[in-house]
Formats: sequence, C-alpha cells, structure tokens
Amino acid sequence: MTASQVMVFGLRRRFGSIDALDGVDLLLQGGLITLLGPNGSGKTTLLRCLATVDVGADDAILVDGLDPRHESDRIEMRRRLGYQPQRPSLAPASRVFDVIDYVAVLKGHDDDRARRHLVYGALESVGLAERASDRVGDLSGGMVRRLELAQAILGRPGLLLLDEPAAGLDPDERFRLREIVAGRRHDSTVVVSTHLTDEAAVGDTVLVLIEGRLRFVGQPDALATTAAGRAWIQDQAPVDARATWRLADGRHRCLGAPPPGADLVDPTLEDGYLLLTSPVVNVG
Amino acid sequence: MTADSTPSQWSVDPARIEANWRAITIELDAPAPSRMERLLRAAGLPSRITRLVVATPALRRSWYLATAVAILIGLALTDAARPREGLFALLLLAPLVPVLGVALAYGPEADPAHEIALATPMRGLRLVATRAVAVLAFSTTWLLVASVLAPGWQPMAFAWLLPALGLTTATVAMMTVLAPRRAAAVSAVVWVLGVAWVRAAAADPLAAFGAVGQAMMVVVTIGALAVAVARRDRFDLMASRWRS
Repeated sequence: MTASQVMVFGLRRRFGSIDALDGVDLLLQGGLITLLGPNGSGKTTLLRCLATVDVGADDAILVDGLDPRHESDRIEMRRRLGYQPQRPSLAPASRVFDVIDYVAVLKGHDDDRARRHLVYGALESVGLAERASDRVGDLSGGMVRRLELAQAILGRPGLLLLDEPAAGLDPDERFRLREIVAGRRHDSTVVVSTHLTDEAAVGDTVLVLIEGRLRFVGQPDALATTAAGRAWIQDQAPVDARATWRLADGRHRCLGAPPPGADLVDPTLEDGYLLLTSPVVNVG
Repeated sequence: MTADSTPSQWSVDPARIEANWRAITIELDAPAPSRMERLLRAAGLPSRITRLVVATPALRRSWYLATAVAILIGLALTDAARPREGLFALLLLAPLVPVLGVALAYGPEADPAHEIALATPMRGLRLVATRAVAVLAFSTTWLLVASVLAPGWQPMAFAWLLPALGLTTATVAMMTVLAPRRAAAVSAVVWVLGVAWVRAAAADPLAAFGAVGQAMMVVVTIGALAVAVARRDRFDLMASRWRS
C-alpha cells in the first residue's frame, strides 16, 4: 500500500471548557512525522480524529480523498489505517498470536491460511514470532508495546498512527521500537506522538502541538534553528531567561534573549521546543 | 523428472524454498485454538466468527456468569413445595442473564482492544451483534436445561425466551445512547419493575409472561432492532460517554 495523503482543515474539538484542538491545519504525505507536545496538549485527540474513532459533524479531514463523516468512506479509510492507542489495549490472558489474529479478522482478513501468514509476518517484523504461543501477560513491557505495534502495522497500512508507543520503555526497547517504526516511513505516512524531544528528532517532519494549536511544522533541524542565537551557557543562574537548567559541570544552559557577550551555543531541537512551550522554565 | 536428469536440472529457486519452508513452519508453529474455539468450530462456525466471539476475556466471564445464574435458578426450581414461586423466579431472572452477558462483552470496560477495534473496517454493530448472539446462544442453552428441569415440566417454563430476546436487543439499542453496563442496568430495572407491577395488579402471578407480555416482547425486539440499525454509526465511533 502507498503512503496515504492526510489533509486536515481547521480541526476543532472541545471537551467541557477546554479546547483540546483549536483550529489544526495539516497536510501530510509519506515519511515519519513526530507529533511533539506536553501532556494534555491534544496529541491523543488529534490521533483519534485521524484514526476515525472520533468524528465530528463539522470536521474537515480527508485521507486519500476520503471523508470519515461518511460511513462508506470511513470504512474504506480504516482499511488503509493502522492505529496504536495510548492506553494498554491487549488482554494479559490472551495469547500473542490470538490477539494479532483477532485484529486481522477485524481488518477483514477472512482466509485462515493467508491470515496466519499475515500475523506471523507482523510478529516477525517486531521480533515476537518466537513468542506466538505465550500469554501477553508473560511479556515484558517493551514486548507488549511491540506487540501493540504489530497489530497496527498488520497489512502494511498507508497511514500508521502511533500514540506514544515508547512511553515507559527503557532505552534499549525505545531504540528497538524506534528502528521498527522508522522502517515503515518509506511506504506509509507514519504519525508518532511523543513528549520526548529525542524521539521527535528522528522524524522527517516534526509537529509541535501546544494547547490544541500547531505551533511548529517543519524538519527537526528547523525546530532547532528557531533557537539559534537564543541558547547560551553561563556560570550563574540567570534571572530573565525564558528557560534555564543546570548542567553536569555546574554551569547553566539558558534560553531566551542572551545578555551582551553571552557564550552562545549551537541550539538543539530541545531548545527550540522549550522556547515554544515554556514562557519561563527553571530546571535544577 | 526423467532418469537422466542431472543435478543442475533439479535446482530450484532458493527464495521459493525459503518461502515454502516458512509456510510449513507457520502452519506447524501456529498455536492451536482454545477448547472453546474448537468447540465453536466443531459446531460449524467459521474461524472469522469464532475469533470475534472468544477474543474478549470479558465474554468468557459473561459465559461463566450465565452458567452460574442458570445453576442457581436450577437449584431454586428444585423447591418442589413452591413450584409457582420457582417458576416465577426462572421467568423473572432468566431474561436478565443474556442482558448482563452482553453488557460484559462489549465496550471499553469489557474489551481492552475496543479502541483498536473501532479503527478497523469491522462494523461495530456487526461486532456487538456477533457477541450478543454468542451470549444469547450460550446462556439460552444453559437456561433451557434449567427450564426442562422445572418441576412438572410445562411449556410456561420457556416463557422467558422472548423476553430474553427483547431485553437483549433493547440493551443493544440503548447502547447507542448509554454505556453498555448502564444500558443493561436500565433494561434490568425496567423489566423487574414491569413484572412486579403486573404481578401486583393481576390475579395470576405469572400474568406478565402470558400472551400479551410475549406479544409486547416481540414488539420490543423489532423496535429495538430498528433503533440499533438506524443508529449503527454510534457503534463505529468512540462515544464521549466512553472517552477516558
């Protein structure tokens, strides 16, 4: 399947008095897109809208020209979709093979033999084929997240939506998961939400979502560049920096308007992100 | 192959050998279905249906619940001193078993993979209907056994069948508005209050299960089916009432 084209126009979602999404516009096709934002910024809501599980009457979303407000379009969109929700979604008592096979049935793969091959293909791609007969509850946390990823990539979807797939994982598992996800960027449009800047850095495109609004869309380098000339290091804690934190050598890395003669440093993606998210941050 | 074939003529594509070997390995390694699933397949159901039925652990719990309630009703019916009271208890409680079963078999509280299922092409109404039928079939089997065991075996002991169907479909229809467990609770309360009201008003304690009651349940079933089909979109989306 080819990478899906995603178009979103002025997407809004309001829960009570909170604007979870406040006029989001997007145009995506192919590649790995990392959706970066603090907790509660609207990442999950946006992914649910793209995954067609949350559809509003006024939504203007098109995936490959299909409009999820129409039942037949929505079903067709879901044929092209792989979705990994943020919440744990697999029953611990179920067997590894069975949970993926179940999702394969839900995705319309009716032929037994073809489905078995599809399931094993997905399990092999996340390194869990050898654990097919094990219970989900017997797997490590990282394995469970990989298993959840396996159900999402089943059938090679054109649009792959992953909601914080690496949350709570150790560095080894995060790296492994990242490699699997990155491998999908060539034949899918992959959208991965995260609140970790090092994960966002591997994307072809970074979206920064803050309080329901897209505050940045561009390449990771471009996000770092937004902090050019606004990141410096000094010995004393500053009083007027937008963000500052103590480094291992006791000096302070600062973001904001540098004082005259400041020791400017190369900006990172994290610098750019913090300048977007934090009017004032003091860490350490 | 001819007798003068040379080894070079025997050679085959290594990729094909690999693919064939993989296919064999998968067939050998794929875990066997559970006992429950094998039972359903032996009954003639295709695997694409049995998978939907047995995949949810909560569905299994609903089956255990149905079994337990059927056994309890069976025990109550063994009180030969008060056969009418036992029969009344059967007719009042038996229709609630599949209602509870359906409530335990669908929705985010019952199925951890609910949100994943919503994002697949499987229509939600088909999924809930498959599970409702599975629950109905299983619980009905057990309850039929209890009915057969009713003292002085009588046709009236089966008068819970239509109410069970009506309440289950009504619960499914209400799930387009309410969360599954709340929908089941509403069905149960309305049913119990309705039966109690008829019992208080009529001379015959079993009047609620007579011809008029049965006809009403047919109407409820048809009406609820119509509502569920008309509002089937609600099973395909994450309702705000279920959102975390």
